[in-house]
Amino acid sequence: MSREVVVIGCGMTKFGRHDDKSLMDLLVEASIKALDDTGIENIKIDSVYVATMLAGELTHQTAIASALADQLGLLPAGAQRIENGPASGGSAVINGYQAIASGVCDAVLVTGGEKMRHVPGDKITDLISTMTHPIAEYIHGVTLPSLAAMFTRLYMTHYGVTREHLARIAIKNHENALRNPYAHIHQRITLEGIYKGPEAEVNNPVISDPLRLYDSCPVTDGAASVVLCSAEEAKKLGISKPMVKIAGVGNATDTLALSERKNPLVLEAVKLASQKAFKMAGLKPQDIDLAELHDAFEILELAESEDAGFFEKGTAHKAVEEGVTLLSGSFPINPSGGLKARGHPVGATGVAQVVELTWQLRGEAGERQVKNAKRGFCCNFGGFGNNVTAIILERV
Amino acid sequence: MNQLVSGTKDLYISQFLSSFSVIQMAEDIEAMLKLDWDIPKKPYPPKLITLASGEKMVVREASREEVPILLDALRPLITVSKDYYDVVAARMYAELLSWYRYRSRNEFCLAGVIDGVLVGLANNRHINQKEVWSHHTIALKRGGRVGAHMFAAKHEYSFEYLGAEKIYVVAESPIGFRRWMVEWNLKKTDGIQHELHGATAWVITADEYFKNIKPRLVFGERPVPEDLLKQSMQLKIGEADVIKEK
Amino acid sequence: MSEKQLTAFKCIRCGKINYPKRPICLNCRGRDFTEVKISGEGKLLTYTHLYAIPEGVEQLPLTLGLIEFEEGIRVIGQIEDQNVKIGDKLVPVWGFLRKKDGKEIYGFKFKLASE
Repeated sequence: MSREVVVIGCGMTKFGRHDDKSLMDLLVEASIKALDDTGIENIKIDSVYVATMLAGELTHQTAIASALADQLGLLPAGAQRIENGPASGGSAVINGYQAIASGVCDAVLVTGGEKMRHVPGDKITDLISTMTHPIAEYIHGVTLPSLAAMFTRLYMTHYGVTREHLARIAIKNHENALRNPYAHIHQRITLEGIYKGPEAEVNNPVISDPLRLYDSCPVTDGAASVVLCSAEEAKKLGISKPMVKIAGVGNATDTLALSERKNPLVLEAVKLASQKAFKMAGLKPQDIDLAELHDAFEILELAESEDAGFFEKGTAHKAVEEGVTLLSGSFPINPSGGLKARGHPVGATGVAQVVELTWQLRGEAGERQVKNAKRGFCCNFGGFGNNVTAIILERV
Repeated sequence: MNQLVSGTKDLYISQFLSSFSVIQMAEDIEAMLKLDWDIPKKPYPPKLITLASGEKMVVREASREEVPILLDALRPLITVSKDYYDVVAARMYAELLSWYRYRSRNEFCLAGVIDGVLVGLANNRHINQKEVWSHHTIALKRGGRVGAHMFAAKHEYSFEYLGAEKIYVVAESPIGFRRWMVEWNLKKTDGIQHELHGATAWVITADEYFKNIKPRLVFGERPVPEDLLKQSMQLKIGEADVIKEK
Repeated sequence: MSEKQLTAFKCIRCGKINYPKRPICLNCRGRDFTEVKISGEGKLLTYTHLYAIPEGVEQLPLTLGLIEFEEGIRVIGQIEDQNVKIGDKLVPVWGFLRKKDGKEIYGFKFKLASE
């Protein structure tokens, strides 16, 4: 019998460029914010999970979870680093959830972080490309943008998605981020500037056609953190803030090589991970009020929203046309600004999605608050869709 | 007595002559040292560029009289080492100051202006009508491809209005290298040292410009609406983004 | 002299043709395979021209495509021709892919099948 798990504290650093801070500084800052947010002084933490994809490679520090437990004075808590590519954050939250649900731990700290802006862009691109299939993809010069581009072209050909749809998603996410003090990019963009005007050719150059600069997320430094505990423990501690529970989780894998997918248009791992989460939560997609999706490339916001079950396959772009996914729409997606504008410190993203949903469900999201948000969904996308986590949060 | 008188007259005459020749000499020296335009010069027609943010940037030629304001904008950047702003700002400062004091031959400078605020500068120097040293490009507003548009505009001026056939380019920062050598697919010369302190120059020809660059990288609406153009003439200086980023 | 041949791996137990080589069949977890020569033309399902090319790649832009063969396998690879469209027929050709860590890497890439 598994126990109910609630989020009792959350926090994040501003996402952006932090030349004067180390990765550990960022992890500590976010963790302290989450611990303080519980309102409980010296809360007992049984285990620490740190999500980071590239800490060893980029900041020359391994076994970083052990180091964080030390720096936060949480010894002798257990500690583990969780690495699942860009889905490290989601995986770390799921691991924390499992520890409490199973009864092994009563309270855990989950922090995700990455420091990447100090490294040249092409080195980052190369390290990220190491997620791809070494023989079938990497060695041929395949990078994540090139995979996203090929996927985008398939979507455009089969479903009639256009550059304008992708531009509108980017514009929406930039607009939302203007109301998010923690977001990396605070820049309004316009359809004229990135698509319609002739200058769009310079403003929004081709990276890998049909993918352009504003169709993909930036490289970001930052960390995000949550404190999870069992519902009974939360009651015992006398937590005063509105409680948000983890209603369902799911994790699924798909073929490493994009060429081996059953149907290259379908993100099977998104489908299966979402189905598991919905089944566990006893909910359906229509019960969800808002979603934080993994738009490393804007096409993924479209595809994930379909494969997670919110729109029929091949129709999400129509919802974009109708403004359904705007902050003011009937199903807001990425009220935080998403990866596109909130930023994407790789290991932090999955945890930041849970932080945003917690704020939204508690009514603490300020100017980007979605009204009557009771249930939220987030999806953290690893590799090019070969390892996906899905988490559903519900206000208690 | 005659000797004394004639001697005095000689003294007077030679003193008079020498002070006259000092002035003459000074004027001759200045005439020798002064540098200005010695090739035909058509003015650059201002244009309006829409950035990704929707903001409208006026790109127009800067006048010699404006140089003191431009130097005010560059001065704070001379100590900012991030992304080689210090080297670019210091060198551009020298180029514009030299132009202002008539110590630079065939130099021009274009300014990018949004809402009356200076956001970018780009300058070139023509050796003669056909051959050009690309000098510098600096973006005071970052993240909006201001530099890309300014770099393109100064090539537009030299190739399309001043009769250039070859422009020699170098970069001081990796960002510059990526934007120009890579994005513009410039060709490396066989060891020609650029006048900007000896870096091996890259080159673009008029033919390549019209074929490969103009159709995809050079944009802007003309004419600029009267009110925007007028506003752009009263230059204001803001805080450069790279300084805010600290 | 052996001619380089694009080869896939047919699972002896269930008949699924796997590409690239794997230790265990994706379909039935069988462990024994026979080789299947991939001959003929593949169909281009999707492609891209990559401008932000990785270090060691010498083609700018790099044309990459996803190609499907009759045998039921799909392959991602470099395409020698720049002007391609979805549905084009391509044939595999052995050639230089890129440099990596100072070594020259060769492999299968693709070109338009001649008429």
